[in-house]
Amino acid sequence: MATVTLERLVKRYGAVDAVRKIDLAINDREFVALVGPSGCGKSTTLRMIAGLEEISEGTIKIGGEIVNDLPPRARNISMVFQSYALYPHMNVRENMGFSLKIGKRSAEEIKRRVDEAAAILHLEPLLDRRPSQLSGGQRQRVAMGRAIVRNPDVFLFDEPLSNLDAKLRSEMRTEIKKLHARVQATVIYVTHDQVEAMTLADRIVIMRDGNIEQVGSPDEVFHRPATRFVASFIGSPPMNLVEAEIADDQFVFTNGDRLPIPAAFRQSASKGRKIVFGLRPDDLYPTGHGLPSDHADAVHEQSLKVNLTEPLGNETLVFFEFAGREWVSRMLNPHPLTAGDSIPVSFDLANAHVFDAADGAALARVGD
Amino acid sequence: MTRNETSRRLRRLLDLAHGVGLFLAMLIICLPGAWVVLNSLRPTVEIMAKPAIWIPQELSLDAFFAMFSSLGHGAIPVGDYFRNSLIISGTSTVLAIAIGMSGGYAFARYRFRAKSALFLGFMLTRTVPGVALSLPLFIIFARLGIIDTHYALIFVYVALNVPFTMWLIDGFFRQVPRDMAEAAQVDGCTRWQAFWQVEFPLAGPGIASSAIFAFLTSWNEFALASQLTRSVNSKTLPVGLLDYTSEFTIDWRGMCALAVVMVAPALALTFIIQRHLVSGLTSGAVKG
Amino acid sequence: MKSFRVSAPLLLLTPAIVVLTAMVALPLIFSLYSSFTAFRLTRPESLWLVIGLRNYQNALTDPVFLTAFLRTVILLTIALNLEMLLGLGLAMLVEKAIRGQRILRTLMMFPMMFSPILVGFQFKFLFNDNVGLVNNALQSLGLSDSAIPWLIDGNLAFFSILVAEVWSSTPVFAILILAGLLAMPKEPLEAAKVDGCTPWQCFRFVTWPFIMPFAYIAMTIRSLDVARAYDIVKIMTDGGPARRTELLWTLVARTAYGDARMGAANAMAYASIFLSIAFTVYFYRKLAAARALVAAEW
Repeated sequence: MATVTLERLVKRYGAVDAVRKIDLAINDREFVALVGPSGCGKSTTLRMIAGLEEISEGTIKIGGEIVNDLPPRARNISMVFQSYALYPHMNVRENMGFSLKIGKRSAEEIKRRVDEAAAILHLEPLLDRRPSQLSGGQRQRVAMGRAIVRNPDVFLFDEPLSNLDAKLRSEMRTEIKKLHARVQATVIYVTHDQVEAMTLADRIVIMRDGNIEQVGSPDEVFHRPATRFVASFIGSPPMNLVEAEIADDQFVFTNGDRLPIPAAFRQSASKGRKIVFGLRPDDLYPTGHGLPSDHADAVHEQSLKVNLTEPLGNETLVFFEFAGREWVSRMLNPHPLTAGDSIPVSFDLANAHVFDAADGAALARVGD
Repeated sequence: MTRNETSRRLRRLLDLAHGVGLFLAMLIICLPGAWVVLNSLRPTVEIMAKPAIWIPQELSLDAFFAMFSSLGHGAIPVGDYFRNSLIISGTSTVLAIAIGMSGGYAFARYRFRAKSALFLGFMLTRTVPGVALSLPLFIIFARLGIIDTHYALIFVYVALNVPFTMWLIDGFFRQVPRDMAEAAQVDGCTRWQAFWQVEFPLAGPGIASSAIFAFLTSWNEFALASQLTRSVNSKTLPVGLLDYTSEFTIDWRGMCALAVVMVAPALALTFIIQRHLVSGLTSGAVKG
Repeated sequence: MKSFRVSAPLLLLTPAIVVLTAMVALPLIFSLYSSFTAFRLTRPESLWLVIGLRNYQNALTDPVFLTAFLRTVILLTIALNLEMLLGLGLAMLVEKAIRGQRILRTLMMFPMMFSPILVGFQFKFLFNDNVGLVNNALQSLGLSDSAIPWLIDGNLAFFSILVAEVWSSTPVFAILILAGLLAMPKEPLEAAKVDGCTPWQCFRFVTWPFIMPFAYIAMTIRSLDVARAYDIVKIMTDGGPARRTELLWTLVARTAYGDARMGAANAMAYASIFLSIAFTVYFYRKLAAARALVAAEW
């Protein structure tokens, strides 16, 4: 059983709290991504789970057993490091077989397991090379191979793809996904790239400043962000977020522009309340060039001026001026637009998000 | 007991062992020196007492006063030794730095044939043990009649220090960007002026460190000094220390005081340069 | 007529070349020459009496010389190995210290700051059978009831000199190895911990391969210092009593100045120099091999 449980976990460096009393329950064979900006505490948390960092307060349990003071070798884990951390003086085969050698396995078993892992990761032609003779992507695969030869309870990945170029990164993402399906183990994956988290994980944990902002499936965190931060972090291009006030059943923006309040929010929207209005670029589009809405009556139309367009081929990002700010929108089936033109734009307010301006918490939706 | 608890106790134990180990190591390192300093302050009666007195009953600077007040008469001619050491070490350092600077600059800034062979040659002279060198030098200097003068030791110490000084100063000049001197020349300086106005001040701290190192080498040198000196005209502190500890009855307190006088300037100066020493030794190692 | 220009670097290097030739190169050649003669200080004209390799033959068959040679080799071998082990241990202890690293590193360098003569004096004082700290401590603790002759008995004196040597030179190893430890990338070590290595295995498979070159540099540097054994021995026992702690250099000095047999002494000196070069070359080779293996990768 490879469940991982964090209870009131704290990591303190002198006067600074890097991780502040977080609680998390990870299920057996689940793929969980810890995601967030630099310095949010995700790597620190991972390293505490691995046993490479001291725990200031709280407990970590693996498989139900408290492991706070156990050294890494007693926790039955494997780890893939950001810098790969291969042994420079050993060749690929020795690197991958090292843990088995330490575990006193027989030579035949070591050879068998290493060959298996090498086959899965297409490393056979490289087995006799030294790390200095490998490219970044190859080293990354060796690091992964080293991790999978052992069949541990938990796999830990610490930003394994951040040192690779974009194309390689997306290739390796697919490899990792296939790997998880194959080895059926619990995976904890740290990354600052929300695309990796969204594509790979069963559940995503978004962290900021040592706290957990939200835990949920990719779908949940995308469609129901619990805080303003999560909303701005997940999704690319990022959600449009603008401050506004509630007055006369409308969102009133600082420059006077207004939008109607959708039905779902009428109850929680009290007059005078300061909020942050959020709308994803997918829910903002030149009329006729977006996905049809579930609630056609919630779509609000308005004429807006085009600032800028970024054609991407199958879609174009169109930047509009509204409420004193630039908004990003996604135009499907695009045709060329001229900057400076005013065109009719649709706001799909059924998918709008509202957050409290003070604490960033999402306002409750009726009918959720 | 759970695995976790066992692990925790083991770790506490190891941490304790680590602390104890460090403490013992530091104790062993500091003890000899500290003991000598302590005993320079205790009356001879206490030092010789049996059974041994562990907690010092009386501390005084008498030994030091006695040493310096009897300058010139009887007892240990500390004043003479000190004077000789100072003159010899100082002069040889100045000369070694001058020669070392000129040589070091040549290595740092110019490329020429046989550069590495020359460098190797210089370094090899450093490997000759003092005793071995003292044999021929004794004969030669005796013929020249400069045994038991300051000149003998000054010449030798310059030769002793030049290689290392040159190596260090070479390194320090390399750290000064070439463009600076060139910019100065563009601005109207001659090569000579550019050197003194720009490059020399920048390598200054490094040259100072080399000077201190050369001074200490001369200050502490024994093998050559013991053979090339005969009387208080030129005997240096290390030779003095040996002379008086070879006597049958040793004035331990006085000897400890002499040792303290010998080491005090060395400690102070070494402390200043130790940073450079370590980085110099290891930068070659890491870059290889 | 071609004008002769002296190149600048040559000019700058001339003083150094002159000094070193005059003070080192020429005397050494003279010394080599005299090693082939029957030169005695008491009879200066014997300088011209060339006797070929007889001095060398005498030295190599002289039991006194051979004993001193053997004693020196043994002393150095034991000293170097001890210094390496203790230096490694000390470096690792200091590296793991969380607080006060700078103080520890400064303290660690203490012994290096004392000249060999002072080191010899300290231990002469400590090991003195009457007033020395060691005997007093042993007696006060009740571990012995008589004065142990640390500097008189042949074996004990050897031990005392060894202690002084090791005390004074372990910091060289410790500092160089510590520099290596601090420069070592930490991730492979963490990977090794995750892979299941005990602290000893981590050291053996990851740490040691990396710091090997540093250890060998220290060995090479130290082996050049073979001559330092002279100062310490001279003040602690002067090769005695009755030559029981005679090392190569004390023997050479005694032969040259005590017996005035300069020619013979020079021959011995050259034999000893070859010994120290052999030591150095050996360690340098080891160093180059270790560097090739490790530095290319790390």
